[in-house]
Amino acid sequence: MAKNSRLSLASASDENYTFCWRVFCAWDYLIGNPEAAESKGAAIVNNIREAIVEEQEKKKDTSLAVLVSLRILANILVLLSLAGSIYIIYFVVDRSQKLEQEKPELTLWEKNEVSVVVSLITMIAPSAFELVAQLEMYHPRTSLRFQLARVLVLYLGNLYSLIIALLDKVNIMSSAIPVAAVGNWSDSSAFLATIALPEEENLATIVPEISERHNSTVGAALEPNRTKSTTPPILNHTALYEYNMRSQQDQCWETYVGQEMLKLSIIDMIFTVASILLIDFIRGLLVRYLSDCCCWDLESKFPEYGEFKIAENVLHLIYNQGMIWMGAFFSPCLPAFNVMKLIGLMYLRSWAVLTCNVPHQQVFRASRSNNFYLAMLLFMLFLCMLPTIFAIVRYRPSQHCGPFSGQEKIYDIISDTISSDFPLWFSNVMSYVTSPVVVLPALLLLFMLIYYLQAIARSLKFTNNQLRMQLQTERTEDKKKVFQLAAARLQGPEEGGGKKAEQESDITSQESSVRSSSSPRRNGSVANFESPARHGNSIRTIAQSASRSDVNRAVAASPNPPAHVLQKHRLDKIPSRLPIQVLPPRSVQPVRSLCRERPLGSAVPQERSPGAPGRRGAAGGGAAQSFAGRRSHTARYVVVNEHEARRKLLRSSTRVPPRHQHHHHREPGDIVELYPRTVKRFAARNAATAHRAPHQPHLSEEEEEEEEEEEEVVRSARRRGSFGQSLRPRSLSDLHQPAAAARFYIGDQAGSEVSVGRALGAGEEEEEEEGGEEEEWEDTASRSRSLSQTNVQSAAPQPPSVKPKTKHKVAPSITESDSASVASSSDPQNSSTDQYIQVIHNKDKYLKTSSAKLAKKKSKASIDFNVSASNELVFSNV
Amino acid sequence: MGTTASQLSKDLLSEYQELTFLTKQEILLAHTRFTELVAKEERSSLSLRIPMEKILTMPELKSNPFRKRICYVFSTSERKDGSLTFEDFLDLLSAFSDSATLEIKSHYAFRIFDFDDDGTLDCGDLENLVNCLTGETDDTRLTPDEMRQLINNILEESDIDKDGTVNLSEFQHVISRSPDFVSSFKIVL
Repeated sequence: MAKNSRLSLASASDENYTFCWRVFCAWDYLIGNPEAAESKGAAIVNNIREAIVEEQEKKKDTSLAVLVSLRILANILVLLSLAGSIYIIYFVVDRSQKLEQEKPELTLWEKNEVSVVVSLITMIAPSAFELVAQLEMYHPRTSLRFQLARVLVLYLGNLYSLIIALLDKVNIMSSAIPVAAVGNWSDSSAFLATIALPEEENLATIVPEISERHNSTVGAALEPNRTKSTTPPILNHTALYEYNMRSQQDQCWETYVGQEMLKLSIIDMIFTVASILLIDFIRGLLVRYLSDCCCWDLESKFPEYGEFKIAENVLHLIYNQGMIWMGAFFSPCLPAFNVMKLIGLMYLRSWAVLTCNVPHQQVFRASRSNNFYLAMLLFMLFLCMLPTIFAIVRYRPSQHCGPFSGQEKIYDIISDTISSDFPLWFSNVMSYVTSPVVVLPALLLLFMLIYYLQAIARSLKFTNNQLRMQLQTERTEDKKKVFQLAAARLQGPEEGGGKKAEQESDITSQESSVRSSSSPRRNGSVANFESPARHGNSIRTIAQSASRSDVNRAVAASPNPPAHVLQKHRLDKIPSRLPIQVLPPRSVQPVRSLCRERPLGSAVPQERSPGAPGRRGAAGGGAAQSFAGRRSHTARYVVVNEHEARRKLLRSSTRVPPRHQHHHHREPGDIVELYPRTVKRFAARNAATAHRAPHQPHLSEEEEEEEEEEEEVVRSARRRGSFGQSLRPRSLSDLHQPAAAARFYIGDQAGSEVSVGRALGAGEEEEEEEGGEEEEWEDTASRSRSLSQTNVQSAAPQPPSVKPKTKHKVAPSITESDSASVASSSDPQNSSTDQYIQVIHNKDKYLKTSSAKLAKKKSKASIDFNVSASNELVFSNV
Repeated sequence: MGTTASQLSKDLLSEYQELTFLTKQEILLAHTRFTELVAKEERSSLSLRIPMEKILTMPELKSNPFRKRICYVFSTSERKDGSLTFEDFLDLLSAFSDSATLEIKSHYAFRIFDFDDDGTLDCGDLENLVNCLTGETDDTRLTPDEMRQLINNILEESDIDKDGTVNLSEFQHVISRSPDFVSSFKIVL
């Protein structure tokens, strides 16, 4: 219950998006059953209609006077029927009492009159209430609430009037019987009626003697006979016996009340079953089979199929619960019986619901949580305990039967038992515990506790309100962001166009190699822009916002990340690092080309290609390359960091949008297979933007290297087997281009001497480590070395013919590539890259810190992580 | 292409596991279910496309009003015929799986609802969507009046920038507030 209330509190926030939710979130995709789908569809229609109608009703105001008067009338009717039912019950109990006194033998009807009448009322009245409720024209949910409340009051009234009438009878009984025991038996029945309550007191003095006598004898049933036989007036024994049995039974008022409750319970069961069969089943049968031979449509007009009555059925359970609470003290087996009965009824009812009932015409959510019903149950428990407790406290237990016979009050048995049956110390302890010395402080403590808890509840409520406010402000902020984004999108296309033009000019001005390498990248980003239909909306927005921010940064060097829903963090991170690199006097273009790539998420080129030049610094590219390397490192850092920090998020966000044609390329867990995919993508994009041509013809220097790489790739692919198809030789060459581009740009435009030494150093270190593997590195054409390196490494350990093992093999290669791409600070074994970073760190402190961070994280991360990281990187291609 | 038809190779399986939100069992189950749709002799290749009509015979999709849209959205077919490869199929299941995040789900929901694939939900999309939900019969279908009002209300609620369409971010904004969406946007084999 507490949990429920928590839930309901949590979901209590105002429903802002009624219509959207009813349409967007309407369908339950889990539905696989055509019938269920049909009813769900009907429910959705109803739901939507209901929303529309409500909206319409909000606008128009119905004649208020009529409505109010109707509702007043309805309430009066309900109150009248409630009063009537209570009166009837009281009347019936009274009548049965009189009948009992007048007649020695009661017929079956007379015996069960009370419970039958009560059951009838509980059956009929709710339907009457329902009719009345139609007058009121409330929303179904409201009317359900009203119906529930009314039926609850009715049931409670029934139970209360019944038990009060019964207790009234008990009152008379307990006063009459003692008199009867002493008085003249022959006219006792007449005498009984005349005896009034006040006489009880003087009679009470006689009672103990009788009860003592009774206690001494063995059988409770035989007792009366004995006492009678000892009483002075000698009567006909056989006639007396029967009579005494009855009067003796009547003396047990507890038994009597228990019997009544059990009777009520049984008859309630009978009536429920009968009503299910009659009202639901027979009616259903009639409607179904007679509709053909009737002049009007039975199914849709008058009798119809029965609707499942939520209020009634729920309250029936509660009513039964109330009966249990009330009767359990007087007839201990009542709970057991009731449980059996309710289980049986549940199955019967479920059958009836499934076969003969139709769902409520207007679909509505009865209640968000079950708290309402649980609260009702609790309420019922409390109310039903009251009469029982009252009876326990008020009435003296019957003299001749039951475990409490002989006690002045029922609860006396507890103190009696404690004093007589328990050891002495226990009664001592109990006397202490029950003494005011203990009870009063305990009460005080309780009060304090209650006060304390209430204070806590108050404060929690306060906090709750505050949090809700916070949520609301956040929501509005969110809205603002979305709005901003929308505004940004409007500017997007222009931007894209601008870039394209830029790029074109690039192409003309640069060398062919540059062009061949740069254009695909550019094209990649631009293509993303321009094909929103294919890549989905989010891509476009991401691309745009990211690229825009990058441009801003490059030009103004002021980090100005646009609000972005999906990749907020990502963008936030970038500016913090990038500006420093962007600031140095360098032409805007290369920077942008790098930057743009990153947010776009074509992870592979960005990861590897920038990494390549840096390492290769020793060769031709020289200073510029190293510079580029540094820059690209940071770029890579950003990416990798993101992956680490928000791995899951990225994964989710990145994987969402584009549906690439090459799904299986997405799958590969290692680098070698990663390449082709991006490459393919590039190719596709290029095709789309008609820039394909440039990267087909490659630089002569590149070619031999590429060939080698291709070979290796193919080999490794063969080894891996499953994805051989995805590894196209050509793809590698494509891949290099970005790398080349990065280097080239830098070499051309950012060619400052700043980092010559550093670059050289880096290159040497690299040589120390890895130089043995390949000599190409030292070539000027080493721009694609990182690729080749990774390829070689993945390829080298294994002979071509060996079959997979992939996971194991892949791992090292990946770590390698990772380290290569991530400035390799991560892997301690890659000392060259470590040193390289240190070199960098002279220049850029922030880089070092970030790399250190990275290293920490990375060292923790296992190979698996690397694998996944690379995967995600691929996915970041969004 | 070293995998056999009936069974996924181990590394492939682990890759799928890595790349989707599915567990191993789910992937295997998906594979069996997928191959059941294929004729025996064709089961050899992974890149095999299954036409949309066959996919739609699956009970999980059969009664879904958006079944065709789902196929189109997840299909990587060049011909836009809604045919699915096994990997597309896995993608579908992954997006509809338990552990897929709200963002993924809402993104795909958006694309499913975006009937004309133009990246926004405009009036036409919304009308299509409502018609899908209500079915095509006359008694369930909304009247033009109702439809107009409904669409107006939807746009009023969700169209934050007031451009007459619902874009992805607006859509996600709305959807992310819904308590039921994540639990109902689910397909389990």
